[in-house]
Amino acid sequence: MKKLGSVTGVLQTPVLLIALVLLAALVGVGGDVTVARVATLAIVSVVFVTGLSIFSGSSGVMSFGHVAFMAVGAYTTAYLTIPVNLKAALFTNLPGWLSWLVDAHASFLVALLVSGVAAAVLGVVTSPIVARLSGLQSGIATLALLLIVYNVLNSWTDVTRGSSSMIGIPRNTTIWLAFAVAAGSIAAAWAYRRSRSGLQLQASREDYWAAQASGIAVGRHRALSWILSAFVCGLAGSLYAGYLTSFNVNSFFLTATFAFIVMIVLGGYLSLSGAVIGALVVSGLQELLRRLQDGQFTGGSALPAGVADLILAAVLLLTLIKAPLGLMGVRELVLPRRRRRAAPDDDATEAVTPAAEAPTQAARGA
Amino acid sequence: MTDTAQLSRRPSVLRMADGGIHFDGVKAVDGVTLEVRSGEVLGLIGPNGSGKTSTLNLLSGMLRATSGRIHLDDDDLTRSSMRQRVQRGVVRTFQSGRVFGRLTVAENVEAAALGAGSRRGPARRLRDEILDELNLGAVADTRADSLTAGRIRTTAIARALAAKPRFLLLDEPAAGQNETEAVELITSIRGFARRRDCGVLLVEHDMSVVMGTCDRLHVLDSGRTVVEGEPATVRKDPRVIEIYFGKRH
Repeated sequence: MKKLGSVTGVLQTPVLLIALVLLAALVGVGGDVTVARVATLAIVSVVFVTGLSIFSGSSGVMSFGHVAFMAVGAYTTAYLTIPVNLKAALFTNLPGWLSWLVDAHASFLVALLVSGVAAAVLGVVTSPIVARLSGLQSGIATLALLLIVYNVLNSWTDVTRGSSSMIGIPRNTTIWLAFAVAAGSIAAAWAYRRSRSGLQLQASREDYWAAQASGIAVGRHRALSWILSAFVCGLAGSLYAGYLTSFNVNSFFLTATFAFIVMIVLGGYLSLSGAVIGALVVSGLQELLRRLQDGQFTGGSALPAGVADLILAAVLLLTLIKAPLGLMGVRELVLPRRRRRAAPDDDATEAVTPAAEAPTQAARGA
Repeated sequence: MTDTAQLSRRPSVLRMADGGIHFDGVKAVDGVTLEVRSGEVLGLIGPNGSGKTSTLNLLSGMLRATSGRIHLDDDDLTRSSMRQRVQRGVVRTFQSGRVFGRLTVAENVEAAALGAGSRRGPARRLRDEILDELNLGAVADTRADSLTAGRIRTTAIARALAAKPRFLLLDEPAAGQNETEAVELITSIRGFARRRDCGVLLVEHDMSVVMGTCDRLHVLDSGRTVVEGEPATVRKDPRVIEIYFGKRH
């Protein structure tokens, strides 16, 4: 039988996606300060949405809680990179058993990795939940995870500064570092998708019971993808903190969740290409809408606050109605080539049920 | 686990003893005892609502029996999950095929091979062998949801074979086909099973289809066993005639 695609075929999609992100990085490098900022945050969004896609794309289960992993990554980076003397001033009421946080310090690259690991630890702790739940139940459970993490961060003032901003994080995220992490995340997401676990998880996405009947340990594969996806989203949080240098707990709540959902739904949540393209397109769109709202396209008269969000919500609604699986559906980005598989399924070669498709023969009972 | 033929050389028996299940007080299966032996095809027949599919669900672990025991040789499977039973070689299909629609035919088969415990390399070899054996090579890279109904049926069987079954539980694999097609399909399934020394439980509602294709028949009505035996004997049984043809005969 024929070979199932050459190595270049297999690697085509991740290479093209990384090239797209590279393009965004080059735009950022070539543009003014605002463009550079938009491009960098767009690439951080690519990291996050790629992470989300590792779980949602293969399992078919949407998560509304992944921003919690991003928060864990951002706070971890804050604890590890804010200068020690500033930390001593910021955290005066740390409980004794956490006092080591004041003296903890690491280079940004170490902080980045530890942030991913910290998010993955939260992933490990919460994985039994996603392993057991499907559909609506799972969606609500992930939302509950977001609420729990948000409330802990918002209320545990002595440790997290509560609703006060986390400040003084050195700016370590460059556009090229963000690009490198995005490229690595895309490669990891693609490798997972094509792995044994990824294939079995995609089978369970198509039919849960048929997957069980094929011996597939659906829960185990869901948990594995959940943890890997948490790690990548933790990296996104670290990059975010290292770029903005200060953040507030409200950065990691419903507004961010909504924006990321728009990205992955618009692009197509079942497809890695959809996730990456959605992140880039919606990041660009958000910036255009911000400018529209500020009056840059309406002769300087600012539009009412909230117009940008309103339009973004409309885009989400339109996508859900017109193309529920987004721009990409389940397709992945490939180079254009001769039309694939235009020939219809050839009945003549079928040996098992040679007459199966004869349309004139009456079907036997119901 | 690499050589199924070698594994199943000793004759095996999948047995349900006095098995039953009730839903809200209704006994869908009520004290049914049956066994399938490796290498044979047992036809499980009966009118609609007689408990055929429920019996298959009990054997496959999709439903847990509320009474009775299920054994594979000396191993008690009564409390085992469907997944554990697949690992032991008890593999089912579904009436509507339930293929993994947005995966290719090859991925459908490979996923099942992996699910049953094969490592990647052996899973791909097994996949290619089965696709060849079932003549699915031409559609290996086609998404399963764009196949014809006939190929969906074949893909579902290929997927079941990828799990290295010692016992195949088939839920009306020929549903929707006419009698000639159904007999042809079941005859070829019989060939696949024979080559693997695999036992087959075939749920079917059409008496004429199972007559020539099954070694033994087990007839159910209202969740209870009516009769079990050779097809020729069963067909002449007055109770079976009454169930199938009513009081006119």
